[in-house]
Amino acid sequence: MFNHPLMLPLLTGVGILLALVPVIFLLASRRAGEKLRAELWARYFSWLWLVPLILLPVLLGRLATIAAIGILSLFCYREFARATGFFRERLVSAVVVLGIVLLTAAAADHWYHFFMALPSLVVSLIVILALVRDQPAGYIQRVAMGVLAFLLFGVGLGHMSYFANDRNFQPLLLSIILCVELNDVLAFTCGKLFGKRKLCPGTSPNKTLGGSLGALVLTTAIFALLGSQLFAGTVLASPRHLITMGVLLSLTGQLGDLVVSSIKRDLGIKDMGAGIPGHGGLLDRFDSLLFVGPALFHYIGYYLGVGLDQPARVFF
Amino acid sequence: MEPWNFKPAGNFGMAPVAGLASLQREAGLGSIAGQALWGLLTRAYFQIFHRLKIEGEGFLPRQAPFVLVANHCSHLDALVLACALPLRLRLHAFPIAAGDTFFTKPAKAFFAACLLNALPMWRKKCGPHALDVLRQKLVSDPAIFILFPEGTRSRDGKPGRFKAGVGRLVAGSEVPVIPCHLSGCFESLPPDAKRPRFCQIHLKIGQPRVFANVPDERDGWDQISDVLSGDVAALGQPPG
Repeated sequence: MFNHPLMLPLLTGVGILLALVPVIFLLASRRAGEKLRAELWARYFSWLWLVPLILLPVLLGRLATIAAIGILSLFCYREFARATGFFRERLVSAVVVLGIVLLTAAAADHWYHFFMALPSLVVSLIVILALVRDQPAGYIQRVAMGVLAFLLFGVGLGHMSYFANDRNFQPLLLSIILCVELNDVLAFTCGKLFGKRKLCPGTSPNKTLGGSLGALVLTTAIFALLGSQLFAGTVLASPRHLITMGVLLSLTGQLGDLVVSSIKRDLGIKDMGAGIPGHGGLLDRFDSLLFVGPALFHYIGYYLGVGLDQPARVFF
Repeated sequence: MEPWNFKPAGNFGMAPVAGLASLQREAGLGSIAGQALWGLLTRAYFQIFHRLKIEGEGFLPRQAPFVLVANHCSHLDALVLACALPLRLRLHAFPIAAGDTFFTKPAKAFFAACLLNALPMWRKKCGPHALDVLRQKLVSDPAIFILFPEGTRSRDGKPGRFKAGVGRLVAGSEVPVIPCHLSGCFESLPPDAKRPRFCQIHLKIGQPRVFANVPDERDGWDQISDVLSGDVAALGQPPG
C-alpha cells in the first residue's frame, strides 16, 4: 500500500501515541492542577482532528501536500496580519499573499529556480509597492512587516512544501512533522521533570534550559533513528549526518517557537488566535516548523538534492 | 520615525463565530475579495432574473457615512440595497441583520460576515450599548448602514411601524439617512418561501434627510422613526 517501508511504522507509531496519551494523562495528571489538566485534555482533543488533517494531504500525494502547506502558510500569515494589525496595509499585504501563492505554484510546478528567485523578487516588490501611498511616515514599518511576514510564512513554510517533489516525500515530511511536534512535547515534559534554569525568561518564561536540552537529545535520537531508514544507502545515512540533521531540526524547531513567542510578547498577547482549543491559533501550533523547512531542505539538498529524479517544470 | 501604530484587529482573539459576530469585526483581504465578488454576482442575478429597476440613484451620497433605511418583507431586501451601491461604497456597507438568525451557526455567520458584511443586532438582548457602538462605528469608520427599522420581515407584504433604534443612531448627528422603498421582493421571496420566484424588483431611493437638530433622546428618536416611516411609505405610493 505504501511506497516506502517506513510509512507503516510511522503511521502505526502516530496511532499508538494518540491511543497512549489518554492513559498517560489519567496516570500522571493526578498531581497536575485542574487548569493544567483541562488544558492538556483540550490539546489532546484538538490533536484528534489535527492529525488526520495533517496526514490526509500527505497520503493523497504531492499536489495535495503542496496545496495544504500553501493554505497553512496563508492562514498563518492571516493570523500574524490580524494580530499585528498589518492587514490594514492592504496593498503590501496583498503582495505578501501573492508571494505565498507564487511560492506554492513554483513548488507545485517543481520549478526550483523560480522558487529560489521569488524571495528576492517579492521582497523587492514589497519595498517598491510600499511607496504607492506616497506617505513616507510609517514606510519602514510597512516594508519591515511585509518582508518579515513573507520570509517567515511564505519562504519558511514554503520549503516544507517543496519537499513534496521528492520521491520519498511522504515518510520524510511525516518524520519531520512528527519529530518537530515531539520536540515541543519533549521540551515541555523534560522542562517539567528537570527544568530549573530559565532559558530566556523575557521571551518565554515557561521554557527551561533542562527542557530545551532534553528535547535536543531525545529529538535528535528519534530523528536519527527514523533518518537511518529514510536515507538508507545514501551519504546521509552516516551517524554524523543523522545527528547533525537531528540537532538542526530540534534547534530550529525551538527557535521558531521562540520567535513567535517574541512576536506575541512584543504585541502583549498570549495566543496568535483561538481556532485550535488548547493550543491557541495555527501559529501557536505550527511555529516550530518555520525554520525547520529551510534548514533541513538545504542540508539534504546540498548532499542529495531534493526531487532531482522527478520531472521538473510540470505545468509552466 | 513614526511611533509604532499597529494594533490588532478589532475582533482579534475571539472564538471563530464570536469574532464574525463582533461589532468590532474588521474585514481583511479575503473578506474584501469575497464581498466584491458577491456584490458583482448578486447585481448580475437581480438584473437578469428580477429585472431590477433602480430609481433615484442620484440621491446616494458620494461617500460614507450614511444610512439606508427601507421597508422589510424578504431576505432579498438587504441584498438588493447592497448591490444598488457602487463598488467603492459597497465595501463600506454593513447590512444590520438579526443576530439570532444569521450569527448563531458557523456556516451562516461566515456567509453573513464574509460575503454580506452584515453586523448583528440581537433582537432579545439589544441594549443601548450595542446601538452606541454602532453609532460610533458609523462615524469613525466611516460606514454605511443598511437598516430595516421595522425590526423583522412583514408577514403580509405591508410596511410595519418603524422602531426608534434608527433614531438613536443618527439623532443630533450630520449623518444623512436615505429612505428607500422596495417592491417586488415580497412577491419574489415571501417569509414562508424556500425558493425565490423571478418577479420584477423595484427600488426607489428618496431624498436624504439629516437630523442634526433633533435631540438625542427618546422623543427625538421617535420623531425620526416617524419621519422616515412616512418617507418610505410615500416612496411606495404610485406617482401622481
